[in-house]
Amino acid sequence: MPSTRKPNSVPSVGFLTVVDSGGGSFLGGYLVLNASGRPLEFQCTAPVKANRAQEILYGPTLHPYLWGEQIGGALISKSRTRPLFVCTDQSHTLAVRAAVDLPVIQVLPAAKPSGGAPPKHNITATSSAEPAERLTLGRYSCALSGSHLTDRATVERAWKTHLDDLHLREPFERIREAITEAQRTAAGPASGAAA
Amino acid sequence: MDGLPTCQAINLSLPAELFPSGWQTALARAPRIVLKPLPVQNPPPATINVPLRQPAIRTFGFTFPELPAADLGVLDTQPKRPSQRAAVEEKSNNAKRTTRIKPPQDIIKLQDRLYYVLQPPLEALTGELRFPFQPFPYQLEGIAFLFPRHAAILADEMGLGKTMQAITAIRLLLHARELRRVLLICPKPLVTNWKREFQLWAPEIPVGVIEGNQARRNWQWQQPATPVLLANYELLVRDYQIAVNEGLHFDLVLLDEAQRIKNRHSATSQVTRSIRRTRSWALTGTPVENSPEDLVGIFEFLSPGHLSSNMKARRMGLAARDYILRRRKEEVLTDLPPKMFRDAELDLTPEQWISYREAEEHGVVRLTQMGDELTIQHVFELVLRLKQICNFDPAEGSSSKLERLRADLEEVIASGQKAIVFSQWVDSLKRIRTALQPLPVLEYHGKIPARKRDQVIDQFRDDPSCHLMLMSYGAGSVGLNLQFCRYVFLFDRWWNPAVEDQAINRAHRIGASGPVTVTRMMTINTIEEHIDQVLQEKRELFETIFSVAGTPASAGLNQDEIFGLFNLRMPPRKPRSAA
Repeated sequence: MPSTRKPNSVPSVGFLTVVDSGGGSFLGGYLVLNASGRPLEFQCTAPVKANRAQEILYGPTLHPYLWGEQIGGALISKSRTRPLFVCTDQSHTLAVRAAVDLPVIQVLPAAKPSGGAPPKHNITATSSAEPAERLTLGRYSCALSGSHLTDRATVERAWKTHLDDLHLREPFERIREAITEAQRTAAGPASGAAA
Repeated sequence: MDGLPTCQAINLSLPAELFPSGWQTALARAPRIVLKPLPVQNPPPATINVPLRQPAIRTFGFTFPELPAADLGVLDTQPKRPSQRAAVEEKSNNAKRTTRIKPPQDIIKLQDRLYYVLQPPLEALTGELRFPFQPFPYQLEGIAFLFPRHAAILADEMGLGKTMQAITAIRLLLHARELRRVLLICPKPLVTNWKREFQLWAPEIPVGVIEGNQARRNWQWQQPATPVLLANYELLVRDYQIAVNEGLHFDLVLLDEAQRIKNRHSATSQVTRSIRRTRSWALTGTPVENSPEDLVGIFEFLSPGHLSSNMKARRMGLAARDYILRRRKEEVLTDLPPKMFRDAELDLTPEQWISYREAEEHGVVRLTQMGDELTIQHVFELVLRLKQICNFDPAEGSSSKLERLRADLEEVIASGQKAIVFSQWVDSLKRIRTALQPLPVLEYHGKIPARKRDQVIDQFRDDPSCHLMLMSYGAGSVGLNLQFCRYVFLFDRWWNPAVEDQAINRAHRIGASGPVTVTRMMTINTIEEHIDQVLQEKRELFETIFSVAGTPASAGLNQDEIFGLFNLRMPPRKPRSAA
């Protein structure tokens, strides 16, 4: 339940993702977990929508701007907990690295169990102008921003020291469920009861 | 020059005259160019200012308690076994089944709801703990059901591991520091079973048993350092004054075999309801034994006033739905060995028939003559009398059931298997034992001292020469694990199919070594057959009513039905005299 926990007292990792809430709006969720995968903090945005001018003028860079710099930046800056690094499961959201002073990695989807070559993921960091670098943490394939290559050493060190048992994909499901729960609660008790 | 065309000169100079227009001179004059500045009159092109303001982003957030990786030394701090870790990772990696904790509807605050939504899958939580064997997926669902609830009934069918699910949920909550002090109340014969199960499923959690003389119990009740206190219902009523003491508070009170509090006016119910507590859980395979009123009684402990007696069955089911988890074996244990029923419909021996008819005729005549003095006790006595005759003839001791049992047991013993025989009466069990001599037969019933009962169970399990145990429904129908047994005989039938089911499920449960054969003995054209028909009809009725909440279909006989066994009507109640 709610606590007055002192921030930064345990090693933690942030998980950031953005979901489409329909009608061109997006909701961001940011979950900080300790090394055992238990929640320490959760931040969520209200729906965010780009206006028409932004859609036109930002063009292909709109999502990196909106998901990464704006939504991601706002969530991480509001957080009371400073994690060792931040994970996202979306290439666009990796652009948050430009807005925060924390290492950020993108956790790539798992390879199909049938074997063969791993799928070709879009590991473009923001736009085609900024290619990402590959990184492997345990059984997870990750990418990090080409503009922040020094993050690699920081992330690898944190992983080996504190986190090698942490699940890096599953927490995004929790964020999506929490956002759904928040929307359901905001919609009123009737909708919650129907669930 | 022949063939060539001839050329002829033509004068093309045409006469032209100039007209005196006055321009000719002007044309010959060089033009004079004059530059004249002309200001541009048009306004500059319009521009539009497109503001690219940063979107206003509203956020809200919550922080949660920080849980240490190892708490009070109860967590397994040793490195995980590779197989265990691999199993957890494999599940997550391949997006296989994961069990998530979902907040119940009575948790209103978003922050509290998110606390549970954001917990890791149960597979990850339990991966931090050691288990004697991996829980079944439905058991993890049961743990996830209990974990966030302050009021809950785990009503799984017998044999599905309610004990293990409750212990694991308690274990996780103790580790999460959501619980610090738990009171577990169970029937007295099950105290040792619970202690053993805690040692198996949560060996790191200290369990204290309330027992001994009054002074010792007083001291035990006040021990705050013991995370789990184990008490039996009988002692609880005796220690009422201590248990409901203002200074005593439990984070969780768990009632095993919670049908014990179905009568809300009973002392047991009143005492359990008076204990100060935060969470209230109930375990029972039979939340509705006789009527929906039973469920109301249990809810008075869980969430007083949530259900009421005047609720219609469907509404009651809907109101209870979020509080009850009920699974049946056939739903979740598809690989459990089958349970096969054989209805041994037997005719009474001639001696039994003589005794039966005489008792019935005299009994019914007597009941009829009683008029308004007739009570349920009188009818009940006759029913019991007739049922006893169906077991053994009182004069000669002959028994068609015994003959059948003897024949079946030969087969059981020859195949090296073990069997349990259930009866309502210790007297019948003793007659069976005498009749089967010199066969080694064990007994487990109310007349066996409690301290010797575990010894009896151990001998039955471990001694290959012991093939048969005689049990009474009262002592042997709950909490015992006899899954090494392949044959169950119901020598007589209990009033309530749920109790019979409990008895059968001592053998037919997780870990059962093979198919379990249940022989239900019933003498035809007797009171036993009549009771069986009424119960069957009632079971079907309850199945219809409680399909909403998933509560079990099990019902015993009420007063009207007991009177109806002899085509009698219940006399009108006498008005109570003023006190």
